[in-house]
Amino acid sequence: MTVVLRVHKLRKAFGGIVVADDVNIEIAKGEILGLIGPNGAGKTSLFNLVSGVLKPDTGHIYLNGVRIDGLPLYRRARSGIARTWQNMMLFTTMTVMENLLIAPRSYPGESIFKVTLARDRVRRAEREARLRATQILDRVGLAHAADAMVTDLPFGHQKLIGLSRALMNDGELLLLDEPMAGVEGAAYETMQRVVRQEADAGRAVCVVEHNVSFIKDLCTRAVFMSNGRILQAGTVDELLASKALTDLYFGV
Amino acid sequence: MEYILTIVVLIAIFVILSSSYNLVIGYGGLATVAHPIFYALGAYTSALLGIHFGLPAAICVLAGALVAVVASILLALSALRVAGDYLLIASLGFQLGLLQVIKNFEFTGGPGGISAIPNTITGPWRTPAYLLICGGIAALTVWLIARIVHGPYGRAITAMRDEELAFSALGRNAMTIKVVVFAIGCGIAGIAGGLYAFYFQYVSPDQFEVLHSAAMLTMVVLGGMGTTMGPVVGAVVLIAIPQAITFLNLPPAVMAPMQGIIFTTLVMLFLFLRPAGLVGPLSRDRMAGRTALEKSSGGVAE
Repeated sequence: MTVVLRVHKLRKAFGGIVVADDVNIEIAKGEILGLIGPNGAGKTSLFNLVSGVLKPDTGHIYLNGVRIDGLPLYRRARSGIARTWQNMMLFTTMTVMENLLIAPRSYPGESIFKVTLARDRVRRAEREARLRATQILDRVGLAHAADAMVTDLPFGHQKLIGLSRALMNDGELLLLDEPMAGVEGAAYETMQRVVRQEADAGRAVCVVEHNVSFIKDLCTRAVFMSNGRILQAGTVDELLASKALTDLYFGV
Repeated sequence: MEYILTIVVLIAIFVILSSSYNLVIGYGGLATVAHPIFYALGAYTSALLGIHFGLPAAICVLAGALVAVVASILLALSALRVAGDYLLIASLGFQLGLLQVIKNFEFTGGPGGISAIPNTITGPWRTPAYLLICGGIAALTVWLIARIVHGPYGRAITAMRDEELAFSALGRNAMTIKVVVFAIGCGIAGIAGGLYAFYFQYVSPDQFEVLHSAAMLTMVVLGGMGTTMGPVVGAVVLIAIPQAITFLNLPPAVMAPMQGIIFTTLVMLFLFLRPAGLVGPLSRDRMAGRTALEKSSGGVAE
């Protein structure tokens, strides 16, 4: 079992509010780990710590055995962390295709020098990105919407574009923040199928999700968080069987 | 005739200014009010180099642009390192502070400014020649900015402006793009300053007051923020209209506040009636996108 992500004794506090308190997590290649817990448990904060939006107070984060907690946000994405956002954060003045084209791990087009002096390289990268984007849009069934503005798509499709954009990054770790919130019908099936395929292809996936059946269907292992602490780790069934946890979760 | 040609030279200079301001504020989404001071840096640098060292005008103008670029990078690095929103405050401070310095130094001519900037082109063809030079550089500026904002680099600028956090989390270096866009825009303003100095042979601090960024912003908004041709249209309209009114022979008491009234009225009208500006392609793009979607899917929104 190859460990892709290892979070070691991570701690982060905002004043008196502790969002990560001695958090230890390991995610292996091909595994889908569920991250559950009540609102405010620190699930999204953990994603922000791992992806580099937040800097931890103490503790380490390793990606493929390499420490990454000192790297800025954009360098962590380049080192192979792809993530989605609860509120999607799509580029709203751009088309679906443009949203995807901007997202590969390496994008020489963001350097004014390469754009001016290494035009062949930029052009080649554009071609490859377009090919990859077309394939991904095909997989999520939205190839026909490539030239539509993202804001013109229905909500469920926007969620799928959020996932597709993250998949442009071919890194080893995929963090999905509430991919199912507000998604139903065909988009739900697609989301589930694609996430499963990504894990099967060898990605380590971590999902924050309130939809328990989604977690149950996809994850072999899950972690229950509350108040920044990991209360229990185990199979989804084990976690759901624990009365203490379900009470916490459903606020009984 | 000479008078009208002079107005056209002024229009060309303002096309350069409003287009570069649009690159920074419209495309880059970088809120700055310091554009006049980079214009000033270009003007004063070329004026001083021309007077004291007698360097060729082209070298002076390029040196002016270089000074504007260096100053803008220093401002951007210090302001953007903290957070994007600080740029507005930092640029205001930079604009006001540096203009005070210019007003108070002897070698910059103090509040009176610098006159007797060497005349580089003499004879009856002076103004037409400048018209050609300024018009050519204005066209080059518009072309260059269009090149920058389209294609892979432009896509990065747009994405950064739309959603910076998501942009960075995809592996893109937002800081570098901001600094580069800011430096290019301010450097172009520096070139406009050099052209102004050599054509009018006179620069004074009140031409570079912070209020002039409002005039430039009006040109950008009226023409269409975040469009290539918008600032061009804006500059032409907003320089031509006040000049045309002078032909009406109105009494000075009416004339004096006229320009302010026109600018303010136009901005308010446009903000309410046509926020996308005269050129306004944003809505057109969106419509094109929607039509493409409907055509290909037969109404995707199930």
